[in-house]
Amino acid sequence: MVDFSLTEADQRLQAVAHRENEIGRKYAREWDRNSENEPSRIRGIHPDVAGLESPHAALEREQEQTSGLVIAEALMDMVSATDVNLRDTGEDAFGSWMLNDYGTEEQKAKYGHVKLAIAITEPGAGSDPANMRTNARYDPATDEYVLNGEKVFISFFNKFDGAVTLMKGEPDGAGKTPFMTVVVTKDLPGVTEIPQFKKLGIRSHELSGFHLQDVRVPAIARLDADFGKTMSKFNHNRPLVAAHALAGARSMLDFTHARLAEAGLKVDYAKGRSARSANEDRLIRMEALWEAAWGTVMRAKWLEHQMGSESHGYRVEASVAKALGGKVVRQITQGCLEILGPEGLSEEYLAEKWFRDVRIADIYEGAGEIQRILIARALLGYKNELN
Amino acid sequence: MISFELSEEQQIVRSTMAEFGKTVLAPQARRLDTDSCIDDGVLAELWSTEIIQAQAEAVEEEAGSRSPVTNAIILEELGAADATLALAMASTMGFVQAIADQGSAEQRARLLGGFAGETFQAAAVAMMEPRFGFDVSRFQTKADKAGDDYIVRGVKAMVPLASRCSHFLVVAEADGAADAFIVPLDAAGVTVVEPKGALGLRALEMAEVAFDSVRVPSSMRLGEGNGADVQRIIDSARVGISSILAGLSRGVMEYVIPYTKERIVHGAPLAQKQAIAFNIADMHIDVEAMRWLNWRAAWALEARQPATRTAQLAYTYAGQQAMRIADDGLQAFGGHGFVKAHPLELWYRNARSLSVLEGAAGV
Repeated sequence: MVDFSLTEADQRLQAVAHRENEIGRKYAREWDRNSENEPSRIRGIHPDVAGLESPHAALEREQEQTSGLVIAEALMDMVSATDVNLRDTGEDAFGSWMLNDYGTEEQKAKYGHVKLAIAITEPGAGSDPANMRTNARYDPATDEYVLNGEKVFISFFNKFDGAVTLMKGEPDGAGKTPFMTVVVTKDLPGVTEIPQFKKLGIRSHELSGFHLQDVRVPAIARLDADFGKTMSKFNHNRPLVAAHALAGARSMLDFTHARLAEAGLKVDYAKGRSARSANEDRLIRMEALWEAAWGTVMRAKWLEHQMGSESHGYRVEASVAKALGGKVVRQITQGCLEILGPEGLSEEYLAEKWFRDVRIADIYEGAGEIQRILIARALLGYKNELN
Repeated sequence: MISFELSEEQQIVRSTMAEFGKTVLAPQARRLDTDSCIDDGVLAELWSTEIIQAQAEAVEEEAGSRSPVTNAIILEELGAADATLALAMASTMGFVQAIADQGSAEQRARLLGGFAGETFQAAAVAMMEPRFGFDVSRFQTKADKAGDDYIVRGVKAMVPLASRCSHFLVVAEADGAADAFIVPLDAAGVTVVEPKGALGLRALEMAEVAFDSVRVPSSMRLGEGNGADVQRIIDSARVGISSILAGLSRGVMEYVIPYTKERIVHGAPLAQKQAIAFNIADMHIDVEAMRWLNWRAAWALEARQPATRTAQLAYTYAGQQAMRIADDGLQAFGGHGFVKAHPLELWYRNARSLSVLEGAAGV
């Protein structure tokens, strides 16, 4: 049966996520201003939430009573803006997850104790990994790989010990260079970390990178995780990127509704277009964008719940959710700031921050254009004919 | 519990309607638009689906067996074939739903039987009024109490299949609030004005209907005692319209895909140009988004949850995006999109037409 009701557990979990966001709200401005320069301030579990069950733990505990684990996760993500992460516990070490999933026992023994980021993007190769220049050359004399190249926009690299790094191997007989995945740790000679990027938004999301110059790693550093495996988390993550940004847009809309209500405008969904002011009409259209994107996130997550996260059966729907979510959060936050007018620009409020924060959603984890290529290929029966 | 799972019955209805739309309705769309009339043969084929009859009969069985979600699914499939014929069904469905949903026992018993017969029987909610700036929050049609009766005065506009309707559900202001009155076509003072022709949905012969001091007994006030929940009728209509728009949009996309793959421009198929391929991707994204909005609003109606907001958002989104999809679809065909050899120009007219209607459908 088609059903859009939330279970009691879904609603409880949304409340837990919302509470955590509200607690963090008072640090939002300070962290926005400072965390790129002083990341040490955001380490560990913040005292304000030290005694509280984390949203993540609550989800684990309640998952049986939800609409589905991955559905509830997305519902929690969409509830309101998460301006700060009050629990820096290292769960964002995605490279370590990969080591755990694809590493041998020997590799886990060697690298299991270090925290690893995941490094894919390069200055000249973001959406187009075939352009990747970072490379590995095998040296049979020492049974080592020699690495050269540069990686940028690497989440949390500054705080971790290294990164699971995607690169090109040596050309095979046919001249093709295979992708390979290598564990790079910061202590190796020739690894140079670059400073944190200064960004438009999501400033408490730490982002840096590194250069590799004739870095020698033992052969054991190479993981049996090819590019496809590296990408396998995308189907799960893409709707969540949309969900996370939709949360920012939700807070922006709620803020805009509240401020306009103070100024005497309350949105009435009953009447028709001819009886609305321009601002009321725009707000309704932006609410429609938000709910449209919500539906596509739920659809992708419901399919994921049916098929299992590793399935590729919901990849088009994951791209749909990502593409629409990334688009609407731009339109909504731009539109709300226009409606709010000059007062909305002030750093006294978070509206200007949400406007900046959500912009990345249409870029990372596959830009909107990449999602559209993937969707169009599926619809048209194309592969590389469409680029 | 969030679920997109269709029941077995819904899956069957969906595939049956898709097939019916493709093989029976779609091939007639151009001819009907040209004739500006739906002939009896097509109406009989529509009636043979028994969709309307099922709405009327369901009341007798169990209150919960009429399903706005199922109806939203049906209207998307019919809309993908031809929006005009989808609205021919949805308009009557809107009337029957309102009676089944809100009518008194006496009204249901008296009226619904008229929609269980062998031949097509139209009826319509008469909501819109013929003036610029009309809005569903302000009706100039009035129903004034006169003893045990009401006197209905006003003119309604864009009533689908008006001259074929046995009844109208006239939305009028009574005692300062919107209310609804069941008025037979043959009541004294009811005049169906000669249709003037319209941009789109031409075969529906949408017409003005004038109510010149029509005397309506209190027993024909929808729901009798407490009067009608007009907002629920508006909400249901919005979901009906947006379901047809989702279908229309999907129809455009499905027509654009093979053409743009075959049409070679500057050495490569049109579909391999990002400007075209991205539009096609956006069509798909929006059709999906519309459908989930429609299902959600229909589910809210079905579950008797507050539905006004979700219905408005489904309607707003579908109206906005369907117009864009029809526009992009026409553009992809270039000159072929502008001429009547292809249905793009028809869909372009229908998309604009449908998305400004209020009250003319139901799920």
